[in-house]
Amino acid sequence: MTTTDPRTTAGEPGGPGAAGDTGDASGLAVVALSQGQLVRRRFLRHRGALVGMAVLLFVVLLSFTSIGFGPVPGWWHYSYTQVTAIENGGRPTLDLVPWLDGDGLAWGDHPFGQDNIGIDYFALTMRGAQRSLIIAFVVGIVATVIGTLVGALAGYYRGWVDALLMRVTDVFITIPVIVIGAVLGRRFGALPIFLFGAVLGVVLWTSLARLVRGNFLSLREKEFVEAARAMGASSSRIIFKHILPNSLGVIIVSATLTIAVAILTESALSYLGLGVRPPETSLGLLISTYEAAFTTRPWLFWWPGLFIVLIALSVNFIGDGLRDAFDPRQARVRS
Amino acid sequence: MSPAQTAGHRAERPDDQPVLQVEDLTVAFPTEDGVVRAVRGMSYSVAPREVLGIVGESGSGKSVSSMAVMGLLPRSAQITGKILFRGEDVLRMSGRQQRGLRGRRVSMIFQDPMTAMNPVYTVGDQLAEAVRSHSAVPPRAAMQRAREMLDLVGIPQAEARLRAYPHEFSGGMRQRAMIAMAIINDPDVIIADEPTTALDVTVQAQVLDTLMSVKEAVGAAIVFITHDLGVIAQVADRTLVMYAGKPVEIGATAEVFREPLMPYTAGLLGSTPSAEGTRAGERLRPISGSPPSLISLPRGCPFGPRCPLVRDDCRASEPQLTRGGPAAPAGAGLPVVSADHLGACHHSDELLAADDPTRFFRAESEVTP
Amino acid sequence: MVAYVLRRLLISIGVFFVATFMMYLLVANAGDPLEDLYGITDPGDRAARIASRTEIMQLNTPVVERYFDWLGGLLSFLWGQGTLGVNRTGQAIEPLLGLALGSTLRLVVLATVLAIVTGVAVGIVSALRQYTSFDYTITFFSFVFFSLPIFWAAVLLKQFGAIAFNDWLGDPVVPLPVMVVLAVLGGLLAVSLVGGRTWARRGASFAGGAVVVLGVLLVLSQTDFLARPTLGPAGVSVLGLAAAVGITALVSGLANRRVLIASLAGAVVGIIVYVSTVGVLGDPTWPFLIGLFVLTLVLAGGVGFGVGGIDRGRAARAAVLSAAVVAALSFVDWLMFAWPAYVSSSLGRPIATIGSNTPNFTGTLWETTLDSLTHLVLPSVTLVLISFAQYTRYTRSSMLETMNQDYVRTARSKGLTERTVIMRHAFRNALIPVTTLVALDFAAIVGGAVITERIFGWRGMGSLFIEGIYTVDPPPVMAFFVVAAAAVLLLNIVADLVYAYLDPRIRLS
Repeated sequence: MTTTDPRTTAGEPGGPGAAGDTGDASGLAVVALSQGQLVRRRFLRHRGALVGMAVLLFVVLLSFTSIGFGPVPGWWHYSYTQVTAIENGGRPTLDLVPWLDGDGLAWGDHPFGQDNIGIDYFALTMRGAQRSLIIAFVVGIVATVIGTLVGALAGYYRGWVDALLMRVTDVFITIPVIVIGAVLGRRFGALPIFLFGAVLGVVLWTSLARLVRGNFLSLREKEFVEAARAMGASSSRIIFKHILPNSLGVIIVSATLTIAVAILTESALSYLGLGVRPPETSLGLLISTYEAAFTTRPWLFWWPGLFIVLIALSVNFIGDGLRDAFDPRQARVRS
Repeated sequence: MSPAQTAGHRAERPDDQPVLQVEDLTVAFPTEDGVVRAVRGMSYSVAPREVLGIVGESGSGKSVSSMAVMGLLPRSAQITGKILFRGEDVLRMSGRQQRGLRGRRVSMIFQDPMTAMNPVYTVGDQLAEAVRSHSAVPPRAAMQRAREMLDLVGIPQAEARLRAYPHEFSGGMRQRAMIAMAIINDPDVIIADEPTTALDVTVQAQVLDTLMSVKEAVGAAIVFITHDLGVIAQVADRTLVMYAGKPVEIGATAEVFREPLMPYTAGLLGSTPSAEGTRAGERLRPISGSPPSLISLPRGCPFGPRCPLVRDDCRASEPQLTRGGPAAPAGAGLPVVSADHLGACHHSDELLAADDPTRFFRAESEVTP
Repeated sequence: MVAYVLRRLLISIGVFFVATFMMYLLVANAGDPLEDLYGITDPGDRAARIASRTEIMQLNTPVVERYFDWLGGLLSFLWGQGTLGVNRTGQAIEPLLGLALGSTLRLVVLATVLAIVTGVAVGIVSALRQYTSFDYTITFFSFVFFSLPIFWAAVLLKQFGAIAFNDWLGDPVVPLPVMVVLAVLGGLLAVSLVGGRTWARRGASFAGGAVVVLGVLLVLSQTDFLARPTLGPAGVSVLGLAAAVGITALVSGLANRRVLIASLAGAVVGIIVYVSTVGVLGDPTWPFLIGLFVLTLVLAGGVGFGVGGIDRGRAARAAVLSAAVVAALSFVDWLMFAWPAYVSSSLGRPIATIGSNTPNFTGTLWETTLDSLTHLVLPSVTLVLISFAQYTRYTRSSMLETMNQDYVRTARSKGLTERTVIMRHAFRNALIPVTTLVALDFAAIVGGAVITERIFGWRGMGSLFIEGIYTVDPPPVMAFFVVAAAAVLLLNIVADLVYAYLDPRIRLS
């Protein structure tokens, strides 16, 4: 080792010694803290993102607490499988506009109405929202991991690794998402939703990979990476310790937007009968199931659609806020 | 020879009516953190063919004030005061009248030639556009004019260069092209905002020479904005020093350099290396600290917190620009200060009394033994 | 340049084959192609049907071998012989593809063009009016459109845009409350677009917008316009001349008299052509119409060039644009003329919800065009809604970025008019990154078309694909995929070329 400055020895390869690592970590932490504070401040100033956050939180809480999740029971008095006597033609009893009739603001017995055989539609919609949310988040995680990995490797190593990985990405970009999703959905739609989400994640990582690659390509030329390399840091250390933390903004933003894309893709596939299958349910499947009832029981069509829009809209606003927060100058719409 | 003396041979003083007069100009920007008072009362005048140097640190308001003269500030900027071009107030003109002035009578050269030209049009197109936006000229004639200008600023093979894109030019050539664009309509005033700062040192001198020679050719005055006192010494007839949005000293360049009336000017002089080395063996004497926030200025003299001469009266009231030194030629042994040499300091006499006004600032070696 | 294109083509062809291989394997393994036959109760019949389908689909051949058979067929098909295979009932794919391709192409291209034009235009206005109520409204709706499930939006459009609209068309009277609401909306739009610093000016623009909307609505209700719409020579002339003035304002500013005269002259050329061809355009052919269009543009360009003086180039351009607008107006006028007959032939329900045209429909060129358009309108609006958001957001941010560039400041310092600064310097540069979006978005529109076609009952590429997937039948799926993938790959190359053309800093190598 020829380095003499004690502060720089932290960057040495194979130096997992306590002193070295804390030095590096604290050095990063100082930067991360001020950067983090800036980001938080800008995010909290973004009104759309804050409202989006509140709405998303509300939808998540509502869908998971109302009918319960797994073995945990919820507070809602009907289950999504329980058939009850049809009241009032199955019309919704929810009353949000007090001045239209005398009841004031009221839930009623079946706030979202009942379906044609008498299942409480609130419970059913909550079940669908729950399932759709789970799938979307699984997709988000899987797509982010794959996309980050592919993008990081391609951007860092360049050369033939980049060429190969980008051609693979091209193959996926060539195929419209719905198309490959449909093919995979036909095969894997009946799987448990976690696995189905993972399968969809394999489709939706391409835009993230391209963004991360671009970010890595520019970051790898930066002085701090040069410095780490000059000190002999290993490639994996440079990738994970030096470049990745700086790409975090790009990754978080597009991971968020991927979740919004995922919920729309899943619902579209389920609508086509190529996604989630009965007896499992999702918001898209609900719309597909009750589409024919549009003229007679329109609420069966409205509620699940409304929830898809609410979830996707709030996630998109959060993503927009995050983008502004991480990089007010970077102005790219998801693509 | 000190930089001050090199400026001497340029000190010709045309005494016609000023082409550009700025009177009590203020510019403020409302921001989320408060109102930024970028310019707080700026006055100067520029005579025909004169070169006025404006010096100051970044954030002192020197660029903002010139953007105000050009009418290029964003709409959110709150501007008061007067900007008189040949006696007419630019701020009271209609948008169309202002536009007719921009690029025609008053033109501007920007700091970064790499980004100042549109990458998708050829240099010739961009030059010709400047001609055609002010006079009904056929495209070919405008292009011919552009070619002449490229010749004038010393770009070789001007004919071929007209068809080149900005990215095919080197930095120095691009700045020459910007100069060509600035003089193409024979302006009366050219505002040059740090025109050489972004260039290589070797290219700086050439571009500076070009600017000065074309200025003679078109007979324009120049407002030369820079933070580099060396450049000012070479080009400026008069110098205006800005600090915290206000002019703190103005006068003939040679006199300002020889007898500064404001400690800030002295500090700037002390932190500028001189190639000739008149003060050989001496260290640079930097000004400590950093400029104040323009949102909440300290009470009294804004330079106070960094000033080695600071007294209680400096903290009490902000000094105004006044003529320094003895009123009569026979002062108390102090050097004579010309009538148009003004400084904003309560204690300029102390500076005048000192042989070397920069000595109030201490070199780093003197601070830490 | 040529080398670059060739290399890109070669890479794309490689990507294409890998993608088809992957796709074929996935489709062939997507399920059991015999699933529906297991339910047949008669064992003999069942065995025979299974045997016959196994034979047709060559289920006993390994999948990889089937892929290469199919690929061989595709390659020789491209040479002019060979086939794309048969579907599971033994029908050849090529005729199915031929039928599907036309209608889907029309839908996808129309949606793409509309999305680009409207999205880019609105994005620019939104950027120029940053942080105004217009900007906020557009931003909000972009996000809403962005978050709409396409199938849900399509079903809603079908319900309200077709079924409810057709019902209303039976007695097209705008109720007074609706009129008032629309007028208020029009006023608000005018305020947010025109702006104005004082309350008086805002009030004036609000009143202006509201009055215009109210007036249009009143005329529509009172004159039976929707049942018998017409512009006539007067309407075409007035609108055409107004457009000529607007075009001048955009191209050079109204102060430039030469360009204004040229632009008006171009409009007049268009009007003359319109009036003089009334007799021969009862049932023209497309080549004749296109020829007439080109001739008009050439004439207008010549006139513009002649009167343009020192501003010849811009004058000619303005004249051509004006003539094109007049031509478009005349085209609309002819369609309007054919409208009443079309409405009665569709039994009073002109906006279609099923299919890409009325089966066995015959009529003049105008009537068949109307027929296509009424079938196209809702599916393309659905597709546009979703892409529109992409283009607005993207253009807006791109435009905001260029407006902050140094060269825009330089352009202002030259004393250019604000119009020139925006159109020539900011917009031109803002457009560059948008080209990459076109290629990306096209894939999304093709995907969206699969869903829209299904909802609107089109027998297009989408249904070829979806039904192939349902029945685990690779050849129809692959037929769709070959076209879609080739289009996406080609468009990517074209986008790169356009990018390089727009940005001289990019060297293709």
